[in-house]
Amino acid sequence: MVFLSLVRTIKVAALIAAVLLHGPLFAAQMESAHDLMSKMAKASRELNYQGLFTYEYRGNLTSVKLSHGVHDGQIYERIQHMDGAQRNALRRTDNVDCLRTGDMLLRGSAYKINDQSYARLEDFYEFHIKGEGRIANRRVVMVHVLPKDKHRYGYVVAIDKQSGLLLQSVLMSHAGKPLERFQFVDITIGSSMAELGFDPEAGDFAAVSLDQSNCMDDNRQITTSTSNWSTQWLPPGFVMASHKISDIDGQESMMFTDGLAVFSVFIDIDKARSLPAIDANLGATVAVLTKADINNQEYAICVVGEIPRATANQIASAISLASPASSSMSPLP
Amino acid sequence: MSDHKERLDQSLSALMDGEATDIELHRLLKEVSEGSELRDKWKRYHMVSSAIKGDAAIASIDYSAAISAAIDEEPAHRQSRLAVFAGSAGRFAIAASVALVAVFGVQQLNSPLDSVAPVSEFAGVEQVNEDNTGPAIQFPSGFQPIINARTVSAGGNNKSSQFVTPVIEVRQQVERNYSEAQLRAYMNDVMAKHSNHAALNSNQGMLPFARLNETEAAAKKE
Repeated sequence: MVFLSLVRTIKVAALIAAVLLHGPLFAAQMESAHDLMSKMAKASRELNYQGLFTYEYRGNLTSVKLSHGVHDGQIYERIQHMDGAQRNALRRTDNVDCLRTGDMLLRGSAYKINDQSYARLEDFYEFHIKGEGRIANRRVVMVHVLPKDKHRYGYVVAIDKQSGLLLQSVLMSHAGKPLERFQFVDITIGSSMAELGFDPEAGDFAAVSLDQSNCMDDNRQITTSTSNWSTQWLPPGFVMASHKISDIDGQESMMFTDGLAVFSVFIDIDKARSLPAIDANLGATVAVLTKADINNQEYAICVVGEIPRATANQIASAISLASPASSSMSPLP
Repeated sequence: MSDHKERLDQSLSALMDGEATDIELHRLLKEVSEGSELRDKWKRYHMVSSAIKGDAAIASIDYSAAISAAIDEEPAHRQSRLAVFAGSAGRFAIAASVALVAVFGVQQLNSPLDSVAPVSEFAGVEQVNEDNTGPAIQFPSGFQPIINARTVSAGGNNKSSQFVTPVIEVRQQVERNYSEAQLRAYMNDVMAKHSNHAALNSNQGMLPFARLNETEAAAKKE
């Protein structure tokens, strides 16, 4: 009997040892997957590159040419749709070092949203490295990003081994079905500004609006102006990244991110009467427009984002006119 | 009886495809151990399969009888205390490795994305409307927000069009005090602003700009 119980003890001990031995393996894997994601955010901003990528949803495919260059601390970007009507977008941001809320969430470990709550990407997503692959003739590391709740979608991303650039990003539904996919088919990294076709002196950039709002300041804080509107419910982990009131029509817009997913809230007064309550879809993007009657004033509240419809509905129904909540964000010591 | 056989055949081909359930597997194993008909079929399936795959050795050599004979001839070991322990430890070693595999396996299973090959499955993706609690009427494409108006085909899931415009669904049947153009302009406006936001904050660079659709550009030109 003593002998048998000894055997049993050994069994239990070995099992525990096996589990313990395995634990750190997973931890190491997750850490490096997260590192890869942070590297990706940095690379996509700081490198010069140009390439062709496809965007696919619901069986539709469009191809887009992208150029991205950094010159004198300024970022120059051009997007050209290769099919359908002629569409180009040109953008210049003033500061390559501008870190926004999304970057901070992806890079940092934990950030203080207000006195009670902290945002940490790992609380809301699991990161798994799923081996290597080849995309746009480059070696990539595949990373699966799984949401831990029903309020956000997952991603399958491919990150270039050498440069850290994002070469593929597939948005995945909770059922594991792809909703949309970005994928480079060809990319050149390290091109000069001339090769990219950017002329910083050229006039076409003058027309491009500069958006350098909501960058992290010297105190490592991102300050957004406060809104009269408050979100009574937000999916956990989402923080406000920007807030604007349009000078033209008084439209208020707020933008929220958890570091990966983004949704925007638009509030209109004047347009409210001329708009019905709607649900809309464009690819993986949903839009929910609800109407609110507050103090005899009709408002149109629209939530737009790559988030599940139920989440968008919940956000929309929880927006109310109230005293503003704290909206400054600072990292934990 | 033939019904039973048919089901066994189905289970067998499921097993060949690696898709048999536990119950099917048990039933098959039971049947194979009892009769040779199914065993022969199993063998044939494998031969066909290796022939298709182009494996060289497709000759039908049945090792199973020889192996059973060899096992039968093996002298039985005397069961010593040490042997009991060694056997137990050995079994445990297997158990532990199974546990490891299980831990790992669960980790894998937990990931719903693992079973997915996004590349190959993409083309057939249906529109996901997971929590559609809205009204019954939905317009598949090309803004058609007028509820009691024409049928869907009028506005058009136009297959010849390469681009899909937003699916818009009007939630309540209200007095129509808005125009389709207004609604389209509004949706395009918010989608464009949102894409701009997303490009700044989603860490995907300019990729979100690709989401803007064709009508968007048309609206901007005006």
